[in-house]
Amino acid sequence: MSFLIFMCTIGIFVILQSAIPYLLHKNNVFGVTIPEGFTTDSTILFYKRLYTRIMVFLGIISLFAFVIMNYTNPLSEQQIVAVGLAIMFGLLSLNMILYLIFHLKTAKRKRNEQWIVGLKQLKVANLSSHQTDDLLPTYFFLLPMFITAVVVGYTALQYEMIPSQVPYHWGISGEADAFTTKSLFSVHIMSLLLLITQIMFLFFNFFIKRSGIKLSATKSKLSQIQQAASRKYTSWLLFFISILMTALFTFFQLTTIHGNLATSGFMLTIPIIFLTLILLSTILYAFKVGQKGSRFRTTINEELVDGITDADEDRFWKAGVLYVNRNDPSMFVEKRFGVGWTINFARPLAYLIVFGPVLLILLLTFYL
Amino acid sequence: MFIQIEPNSEQPIYAQLTNQLIIAIANGNLKSGELLPSVRSLAADLSINMHTVNKAYHALEDKGIIQIIPKSGAVIKAFKIELNKEDAIRLKESFSPLVAEAIILGLGKDELHTLISSILSDYKGGR
Repeated sequence: MSFLIFMCTIGIFVILQSAIPYLLHKNNVFGVTIPEGFTTDSTILFYKRLYTRIMVFLGIISLFAFVIMNYTNPLSEQQIVAVGLAIMFGLLSLNMILYLIFHLKTAKRKRNEQWIVGLKQLKVANLSSHQTDDLLPTYFFLLPMFITAVVVGYTALQYEMIPSQVPYHWGISGEADAFTTKSLFSVHIMSLLLLITQIMFLFFNFFIKRSGIKLSATKSKLSQIQQAASRKYTSWLLFFISILMTALFTFFQLTTIHGNLATSGFMLTIPIIFLTLILLSTILYAFKVGQKGSRFRTTINEELVDGITDADEDRFWKAGVLYVNRNDPSMFVEKRFGVGWTINFARPLAYLIVFGPVLLILLLTFYL
Repeated sequence: MFIQIEPNSEQPIYAQLTNQLIIAIANGNLKSGELLPSVRSLAADLSINMHTVNKAYHALEDKGIIQIIPKSGAVIKAFKIELNKEDAIRLKESFSPLVAEAIILGLGKDELHTLISSILSDYKGGR
């Protein structure tokens, strides 16, 4: 079972990573801004194709090796996990190296060909873009927290029913595999972890709402529509995931309280359903909306103006992936290489929002 | 209402912003009573420093064109009915060098009048 899960995870990872050059805005190639008019440069297109082909090739080889390893000499559960993880990390590292290689090649080409020289760089903004911004209201993200409160209340009421060993970790088969002694505090560990995550998602929505709406100088109206879609569906995705996590954690908490709920079939399918829903929704977002909404289809007529290009922000993107801009008050910005959001590493508060919850969760688990 | 900034221009960004907003207001693209986004919001959209946007907003407020609302943005004030003395002096000081330059560069008095008229026809507001 864990073999299948690893195969699927590795497979999906490879598919998504390979597809990235085609999910991104065409001005964004391996973390480098390519000005309008040069996005169809044959060398750049070659780099994109080569990256995708190498990724797919590496993926197929890894999966093939994994299958061969398992079928010639069936591996134990522990070995499967070890090999699976090794392959995942191996592919992740190779992917990062591959990205860096192409990032440098692309940056070099842009420099050598002097594409930016001679073009007037512009920054564009719409004064009313935040009025028409359509993200979910941040108070929506309080709803899952009410459910957590109910769970805490119910747990307290059912305190006597809970076994003396309280699970706090479930393995890949859905079975609980780590326990802590029951106490008035430890029975609520899962609810606390859930609450921390829910709060984090609330802050994500809040700060993404306040982040800058970056428009394209060459395609202002189109980018306005695409940005609006990207922000809106990011908000929806955040909410959906928060709800799903709430459902999952609530389910586990209920199995802790009512031991007889935990039939092995049930314990296995619920996490798988959860995983499938998360993967489907993120894949849907990646392919339907894409980076900066570039895959969002819309009909709008816009005249292309010659001689202008977006202001070059390459210097704020370290290695094309880390955004460090002291001038930008935004906490979050859209990723350059990949679909999703990343933090402005020049903003101390952003570190707190992202790493704070992680630290809290780590502290909690060490306390156990 | 789109505004654009040229980061590599010789003209400072806050001056570009101030001019763009003045032109938009004179054009009627920004109407009196309408709200301008907050300093933070506009700075985030343009990826420029908040102080730059703040400087532009304060420049406009000093001229009496907008009224800053702390933390919210700014509201655009109505056109003034009559030119006051300080503004008159300041405008004359701004115009003089330009007119002088035009004369030196060969622009005749009639051509100057025509030029001003054509520029005026771009702006819907005012008397």
